[in-house]
Amino acid sequence: MTTTREFQGITLERIRDHVWEIPQSGEMRVPARVLASEALLEDIGEDKTLQQLKNATQLPGMTKYALCMPDGHQGYGFPVGGVGAIDAEEGCISPGAVGFDINCGVRMLRTNLTYEDLQGNEEELVDTLFENVPSGLGGGGVVETDIETVEEILERGLDWAIEQGYATEADRLHCEDEGRRPDANADYVSEKAKNRGKNQVGSLGSGNHFLEVQRVTDIYKDDVAEAFGLAADQIVVLIHCGSRGLGHQVCSDYVRRIEQRHGDLLESLPDKDLAAAPARSKLAAEYYGAMGAAINFAWVNRQLITHQTRKVFERVFGRDWEALGMELLYDVAHNIAKKEPHEVDGETRDLYVHRKGATRAFPAGRQEVPRAYRDVGQPVIIPGSMGAGSYVLRGGAESMQETFGSTAHGAGRTMSRTQAKEDYWGETVQDELQDQRQIYVKAQSGATIAEEAPGVYKDVDEVVRVSEALGIGDAVARTFPVCNIKG
Amino acid sequence: MGYELRAHTADIAVEATASTRGGLFAALADGLAAAMCESTPAGGDRFAIDCRAESLEALCYEYLDQLIYERDVRLVLPVDNEAHVTDADDEWTLTASARGVPLSEVDAREVKAVTYSEMVVDRRGDEWYGYVVFDV
Repeated sequence: MTTTREFQGITLERIRDHVWEIPQSGEMRVPARVLASEALLEDIGEDKTLQQLKNATQLPGMTKYALCMPDGHQGYGFPVGGVGAIDAEEGCISPGAVGFDINCGVRMLRTNLTYEDLQGNEEELVDTLFENVPSGLGGGGVVETDIETVEEILERGLDWAIEQGYATEADRLHCEDEGRRPDANADYVSEKAKNRGKNQVGSLGSGNHFLEVQRVTDIYKDDVAEAFGLAADQIVVLIHCGSRGLGHQVCSDYVRRIEQRHGDLLESLPDKDLAAAPARSKLAAEYYGAMGAAINFAWVNRQLITHQTRKVFERVFGRDWEALGMELLYDVAHNIAKKEPHEVDGETRDLYVHRKGATRAFPAGRQEVPRAYRDVGQPVIIPGSMGAGSYVLRGGAESMQETFGSTAHGAGRTMSRTQAKEDYWGETVQDELQDQRQIYVKAQSGATIAEEAPGVYKDVDEVVRVSEALGIGDAVARTFPVCNIKG
Repeated sequence: MGYELRAHTADIAVEATASTRGGLFAALADGLAAAMCESTPAGGDRFAIDCRAESLEALCYEYLDQLIYERDVRLVLPVDNEAHVTDADDEWTLTASARGVPLSEVDAREVKAVTYSEMVVDRRGDEWYGYVVFDV
């Protein structure tokens, strides 16, 4: 059994199966850990992921270790798939360790349709979804709003959507934090950010964001699947997007403000994109309030897309969405930082848990888990590529101890977008998916399909296998794409 | 002289050179447009951009961030960029303009944000060199 591995001059020691550690040395405040099989580690070691993870250990207040999830890859400053739990009193908060797309996340809607019910309707469904769910650059949103409305969304999240008739009480109860961050403060969001957001409320965007109709192909845990309302052959809908230009602008604004106000801290860090505001500083409080507001915006964004999706299903299948059983299973963020209490060396401490391309995965019993799932654990949704399966997991029993209650968020890219466009032709990928796998894809451009071709992603099965082996997320069900729309 | 798109695992990078600082900034901005759209039609009105910052890198960040902002609020793709950079009293100033092609006339993909990751804005020999990673 290999005991050490080296990539680009960085040595990792094998702690146990799927746990690799970069020991503390030099400027590192704590060790770094990579959770990966040997095969996934080969991918992770190819780019700058390990160096970025090592850099992240230099953030003041980093607790126990900086972590890289099994789907980790190079980001900017902090790696994607990174988890950093930072002391909320003596440490810092870092916009770069959250990501530009604040509360980029996924939600899953159930239906009571089976794959057989849907067969024959795929083209109409994909076309109608594409026409009714705004996507791409400049595609507008489900609603056109003004600054005043944006501010209400920022402050109130899903409560605004309920009041406006876009969401139900059940939607609220099945969303992380019930769709509203308590510390959100619209006053800390710039006018620029609000201006970018006002014509994007209810829009997918582009890149790796998508809406996918899927069928459940496998059930691995009957009792948990039953609690989640999932059964074999059932049709579900997965929506993946974030806080759009508003969230991106919040991150950009605070990176610059932190650079200007806390240059001394920044100078001690190895990468400008790790820019961090000291905990208890005015700017840390302002960023936390602005980030919370952007989180609310993202929940409303996904909710308005949910509203459109329900309307489309009503039209295509000729029944009310309630009669089609289109309830929200769960909505979970994967670019976020939250102050959470965690046990560290026998002591409960408040930590800013930064999850950038990582999903909260709280086990059964935690009060943060919606009441409906508290006995079985929080649903975790891990999308694969548009040619591979996705997974529904539940938070694993070991997650609090091993990963501050976190697991992976997806398959993770292995190929650059420029390389993907050289290796794949969008229309060919689209035709092959439809002819060979009965997956109907519609996108704003062929280039988007090429950039997101199934071959550019890691093996999601392996990501989930590692998550399960470590006990941080247990596979409950697997799904396979039927229709996919992209920006 | 000009720009090239460079590979990055999840995102995209632009590498550019020019004989002047302003030329370099304009080339990086043209690279940003190319990262979003392969070809752009004629037409569209020009608009002006002004930025100030405490360093050249910060000015580059502010400029490219402003272009992304203008794209989202004007609903145009900023192309054919022109820029002029000056420094005085420890402050860098940029005066620039772009031709805004309506997004409705192009198939463009979104670049979310400019990043500081691996950013280089530097004089190398007799030319200016820049490298910027964008979040996609």
